[in-house]
Amino acid sequence: MIKTPDLIASLATNLAPVRRLRPPVARATYWLLLALAVLIILAVGLGVRSDLAQRLSEPMFALCMIASLLTGVLAAVAACLVSLPDRSRFWVLLPAPAFIAWAWIVGYQCLVRWISIGPNGIGFGDAARFCATVVLTSLPLSLAMLLMLRYAAPMRPTAVIFMGSLAVAAITATALALFLAINASIMILILNCGTAALFIGMGGAFGRALFRWVAPKTLRRGDETHPS
Amino acid sequence: MPISSGGGPQSPVFAGNTVPDRQRTGSGEPNEDSVGPSVCDTDWSILMARGQDGDAVSYLRLLNAITPYLRTLAAQRHRDPSDVEDAVQDVLLTVHSIRHTYDPMRPFGPWLVAIANRRLVDRLRRQGRTSARETPLTDEHENVPAPQANIEGLSDRYELNGAIDRLPVKQRQAIRLLKLKEMSLKEAALASGMTVASLKIATHRALKSLQKMLTDRSGT
Repeated sequence: MIKTPDLIASLATNLAPVRRLRPPVARATYWLLLALAVLIILAVGLGVRSDLAQRLSEPMFALCMIASLLTGVLAAVAACLVSLPDRSRFWVLLPAPAFIAWAWIVGYQCLVRWISIGPNGIGFGDAARFCATVVLTSLPLSLAMLLMLRYAAPMRPTAVIFMGSLAVAAITATALALFLAINASIMILILNCGTAALFIGMGGAFGRALFRWVAPKTLRRGDETHPS
Repeated sequence: MPISSGGGPQSPVFAGNTVPDRQRTGSGEPNEDSVGPSVCDTDWSILMARGQDGDAVSYLRLLNAITPYLRTLAAQRHRDPSDVEDAVQDVLLTVHSIRHTYDPMRPFGPWLVAIANRRLVDRLRRQGRTSARETPLTDEHENVPAPQANIEGLSDRYELNGAIDRLPVKQRQAIRLLKLKEMSLKEAALASGMTVASLKIATHRALKSLQKMLTDRSGT
């Protein structure tokens, strides 16, 4: 085992200047701008749903979209905040009101207006569009979030993974509501709850491994030095 | 406003950007890791801000200054001195790795204590998981270093000795001197009166004969 004074000397000798992190809200804003860019590209490429204007005039649909969007925004801010060592872990509660509102609206919609299947059913085109929207929205956003918060690996990985996954899930659900003309209640449930569960579950399953993969090099070497 | 580390009831509390000297050294006593008295007059956050800009001297002073304090924190959770040093090094590496996350506009103490507590708790958890899977070695497990206690190997040993006894005299002598007594070629040559070359040849032939004898026996 290397002696502590030798380790300190080695760290100081190989010191390189670092760029300080920008404030968490600013970093969350950059990520949200990326999300906006992804949504715009998808809108141009896939086109928004044909009945979007009509659906937006419905208060419950508009509220649902606002709630999911707000959940994504607040979860992104919370992820950036809890990733910092000296910020309170209670920032994870920041998106809670918006998330509860989102869940409540989705549940309410399904309860009062249950439509088992849309007038045209669910075809292969819907499924392909669904998959394309999920992948094209979530992949760049997840990678960006992972790289943006990789320094949090040794601190609060679980909270950061949870908040990051929630942010990606909420933005993806918003994208699905924008691009997929779905009226069936079961699909709305899958679209919202399923997306949230999928990304939070995937974050829980693979988040730590991915964090270790992208963690700072010195820290990985440190873990190897201290395997116990 | 005092800002707590959020690490538990025993966590020190820092007030603003100023860290008392007693907290810096952990015990208030002079320590050999400190570079000099000027460190006590310099705020850790300033040293870290300079370190972030690449000032190696300030960074070295900072790491030397925080080490005794980290050692105190680690000693609260670990008993074994080597564990304490490992934990201190772990925290120092983490501080180094994520030093860019420190905002000089905010107090340094809570940032450092949060990192230290997190790493110490992680370490304890890792140790807990490891110790749950491990069993301490007792004398009963020491059957490899003490051949007489290694009952499972006894039959193999008798078999090998029997095979060596059946070798021609020169080959038997070469094997015993070079392989069993682990002599060098020169020593074996002196002890046996054989030349180095003939010892090498005899050993080579002996090993081939042994291999053949033992393979035949295990095959039957």
